[in-house]
Amino acid sequence: MSPLDFDILERPDFAMLRVRLAHGQQLFAEPAALAAMDPTIDLKAGFQGGVLGSVGRMFAGENLILNTYTAARGGGELLLAPGPAGDVVHYSLRGGSLLLQRGAYLANGVGVEVSAKWAGARGFFSGTGLILLRAQGAGELFFNAYGAVLELDVAGEYMVDTGYVVAFEDTLEYQVTTLPGLGLGGRAKSFFFGGEGLVVRFSGQGRVWVQTRAINPFLSWVYPYRPQKKRD
Amino acid sequence: MESEIVARPSASAAKLSLDSNETITCEVGAMIAMSTGFSVQTSASKRGGSGLWAGMKRMVAGENFFLNHFTATRPDQTLYLGPVLSGDIVHRRLAGETLIVQGSSWLASGPGVELDTTFQGLGNALFSGESMFWIRCSGHGDLFLNSFGAIYEVNVEESHVVDSGHIVAFDSSLQFSTGKLGDSWLQTFLSGEGLVCHFRGQGKLYCQSHSPPSFGKLLGPMLRAR
Repeated sequence: MSPLDFDILERPDFAMLRVRLAHGQQLFAEPAALAAMDPTIDLKAGFQGGVLGSVGRMFAGENLILNTYTAARGGGELLLAPGPAGDVVHYSLRGGSLLLQRGAYLANGVGVEVSAKWAGARGFFSGTGLILLRAQGAGELFFNAYGAVLELDVAGEYMVDTGYVVAFEDTLEYQVTTLPGLGLGGRAKSFFFGGEGLVVRFSGQGRVWVQTRAINPFLSWVYPYRPQKKRD
Repeated sequence: MESEIVARPSASAAKLSLDSNETITCEVGAMIAMSTGFSVQTSASKRGGSGLWAGMKRMVAGENFFLNHFTATRPDQTLYLGPVLSGDIVHRRLAGETLIVQGSSWLASGPGVELDTTFQGLGNALFSGESMFWIRCSGHGDLFLNSFGAIYEVNVEESHVVDSGHIVAFDSSLQFSTGKLGDSWLQTFLSGEGLVCHFRGQGKLYCQSHSPPSFGKLLGPMLRAR
């Protein structure tokens, strides 16, 4: 199996992933991500992880269907673009696993299995939905961010607002918690009035990828501009 | 405190390094990530104060009610702050002078910077239908401002006219008046321009390439009614 030939264009603000597939080579990607491709490539809307794996992805907020691109009629080029304006990160899995925030998954090569990992009630409580996908195996993985990506190498402890977590290595322990120092009243104030105060506390050794913009604050910003419902 | 603006200009974030007992105040929601040696206090205005009235005023103006104060409890702590919209961040160190900052452009400031959120100097900007409020920043210390799009500085020598949505901040040494662009209010209304600000005198003016209210008004009608 030949290695995946790829490059990431227009970094860091408007990153796109370009993959040159050799004859017969495959790539799996988030369905909405296709920007352009050579006609030598076949697109199959499929179920990489079987039906159960796909259902898991649906619950994790990812689309049910993962597209499979196969260079069936000779080599060809594929261009993938994430939804938000921002960076794309490449990560080589070598038997370990990586956890991805919902929506950060872009694509993976052969040998990587992407599946839903249920974050449980604590994920729901965060409000921003810390719902995670797990990528494991040996191969290439690509994920995207809204804004730029900060790579933080944690040795000890670090805290990241739940809405800004993109991905992290599975060697890290994680826990959803509140900001340190806030009393009960402060926590209530911060959480209910500001929507902040819930963070992921990482501990141990490993890398965390953090984005510099988040979707939910932007939605809150747009909200007042929505038209008012007409009252009869 | 040391600071660095990373990922400029469109996805910028402020990386702040604080030593023990150093404090930075920011809008609730601005924190992206941080090391664990911080104590966080939430208040309506100044640290330690209740300032409920000031908080209420901010809320009426569409801004966050609360401010977060991050105080390092151990040496060498790192804090990343970021704004909501795409754009740049500028760092300015105040040394006694006063800067008038558009509410949504204020990102963070040090404890030596006095924040007066009740400043009503441009209060009649509300007339244009654009909910805006202004913060008077004075004293000594670090101040971080964010822009929607690029940020550019204008050294006003005599006079300058800027649409209110494009103002980030300006030196209080500048005289300003709000006014209409055309000959009549009808013309101003039809031109689609918001309220413009006439600046006179000498001083620095920080402008942003894009206007948040214009973007909001572009998106709003495409969204479902609330």
